[in-house]
Amino acid sequence: MALEIIVCIKQVPNPGDFSRISLDPVTRTITREGIPAVVNPVDKNALEEGFRIRERYSGKVAVLTMGPPQARQALEEALAMGADEAFLLCDTAFAEADTLATAYSLACNIRSMGHFDLILCGKETADSGTGQVGPQLAEFLGIPCVTNVREIAFKGEMSLVVKQALERGYMRVRVGLPALITVNKEINQPRLVTAFGIMEAAEKEIREQCCKDVDADPHCIGRIGSPTEVLEPIDLPRRKKGEIITGLPEEAVKRAVERMRELGGPDLMQ
Amino acid sequence: MDFTLTRQQEMLRETVHQFAESELSPKAIELDETGEFPFDILKRCAEMGLVGIITPREYGGTGMGHLARVIVIEEISRVYPPLGFFFQTGHLGQWSVQEYGTEEQKKKYLPPLCKGEMIMCDAITEASGGSNPAACQTTAQLVGDEFVINGRKVYITLAGVADVALILAKTDDKFNEILVEKGTAGFEIVRRENISGFRTTPVNEMAFTNCRVPKSNLVGQEGKGLSIGLAAVSMLGRTGVAGIGLGIARGCYEAALNFAKERKLYGKPIGELQAIQFALAEMNMDIEATKWVSYYSAWQIDQGKGIREVGADIARAKFLACELANRVAPRAMQIMGAYGLSEEYHMTRLLRDALHLFPAAGTQEIMKITIGRSILA
Repeated sequence: MALEIIVCIKQVPNPGDFSRISLDPVTRTITREGIPAVVNPVDKNALEEGFRIRERYSGKVAVLTMGPPQARQALEEALAMGADEAFLLCDTAFAEADTLATAYSLACNIRSMGHFDLILCGKETADSGTGQVGPQLAEFLGIPCVTNVREIAFKGEMSLVVKQALERGYMRVRVGLPALITVNKEINQPRLVTAFGIMEAAEKEIREQCCKDVDADPHCIGRIGSPTEVLEPIDLPRRKKGEIITGLPEEAVKRAVERMRELGGPDLMQ
Repeated sequence: MDFTLTRQQEMLRETVHQFAESELSPKAIELDETGEFPFDILKRCAEMGLVGIITPREYGGTGMGHLARVIVIEEISRVYPPLGFFFQTGHLGQWSVQEYGTEEQKKKYLPPLCKGEMIMCDAITEASGGSNPAACQTTAQLVGDEFVINGRKVYITLAGVADVALILAKTDDKFNEILVEKGTAGFEIVRRENISGFRTTPVNEMAFTNCRVPKSNLVGQEGKGLSIGLAAVSMLGRTGVAGIGLGIARGCYEAALNFAKERKLYGKPIGELQAIQFALAEMNMDIEATKWVSYYSAWQIDQGKGIREVGADIARAKFLACELANRVAPRAMQIMGAYGLSEEYHMTRLLRDALHLFPAAGTQEIMKITIGRSILA
């Protein structure tokens, strides 16, 4: 069986630089200026799972993102990791979309791509962390969805048995294809890009699509199509940075206990 | 002027950085202690397309070029310089074959080299000194369709693990570069040098006693051996050293920077003390300046410039990066106090490796002679 797999990814500010992010009280959005953009980390797990399924059952992995022209960089990385084709949904009309308008726009793009068997997404993004786009996208496409999945196995040709992570343990879920699965970080270890992949990616085309190309209703996209309204951004006090104690293990443990005593913690040595 | 790296080069840097952090860093201390050549890591580098970074795709490489190679060596050497040294030296013979070899030689050697299934060393230096390769006393007499090789080579990096050696030898009064495969009768590895740094990259002495190889093992035109060998050392060897020096300096500087942010003295991080800030600022300036000189020299090779046009620029890069590593490493150690002396913090290991950059691919004095001749010509 050859599977048509679509992986939805998002470009986000590098989580390693989140301490530099601030909230703009006027636009009520986060300020990303000067912060390098990367592929949302758990989206790489979704890509990796797509590649592994393709390697096992053959087929094709297409990668899709919606964003400004610079989101092309995220697609280039996905192509270098091994994606077969890439789609960039890019139009000023898509700007300032909330999760619902984003999911609608992605659904329009996916419909324009034709047949698919499986859609994979990361379970949430590092910058907004709603975890909503995946399930909303499945709803727009009228297909089943399982979220927060840590293992995917095929049961026959057209159904999956997946392990959905719960707070305590997991639930085994059987789902027919086509379906949408959002994955968590435990599902795999994403592969590193190789120099071979980088050179091959340079020869692959990134197909840029605008609002008209995907036949999207202008009333359902971008700011107009977004029912979410940010009333007031609140900058919560940052958690105090942890103290790192270095040195040889024996000395480090002694020092850690001393520090806990100094800070009024229980006396662990008794 | 455009100082931006290409998207491909940026992605390459990012992925090699991740590779070094996730796969090299945890093994660095153990590797250095055992001193064994890390064949598994070489294989992994080959899978990532790093061994074939300068080799055309038709021969199994990625053809990303010389600036990409310096970036790879820099990112690897930031964490584990002996592997950077492998690339610095291992590419000499590989490049010579791809630039000057016959089609048959390219097809035979380049694909397995790029796959990490074969290692090639480049043997030029003799007891008479590395700075004067023209004093080469190893001979390769042409007898029928064979070269008969006699002589010794010293301080040859990778010889002990190499499957094939590219050696410089004299045929009458002409210099030739000749391939000698491991196991050829009359060719033996005499000893391994006990050196203080680059511990997993063996440096050996080689001996040739009536060692016979086919004439078809000649690389390049007859009599062009010295210029091929010097071009490889000057272009690949010196840009490689520049990459290692940059990497060592960055590894030390970044460790000192993190330490200065976390280590508290008088109730505040030592990074808030002006004396520490000045030291870090000076290291930072030093690294940035040397980086651009080094990148520029490698970029020029990618633009098709030859040794005559770019030799002095490369010599500047080698000289500066070598001095940089040996200036930054002890200074970073000082910032870290007694921690800097602990093997656990890697500084001593990086400093040991930095010292080996002085003689590598030409001494600092040879660099000054190259630059001096260029500016006075």
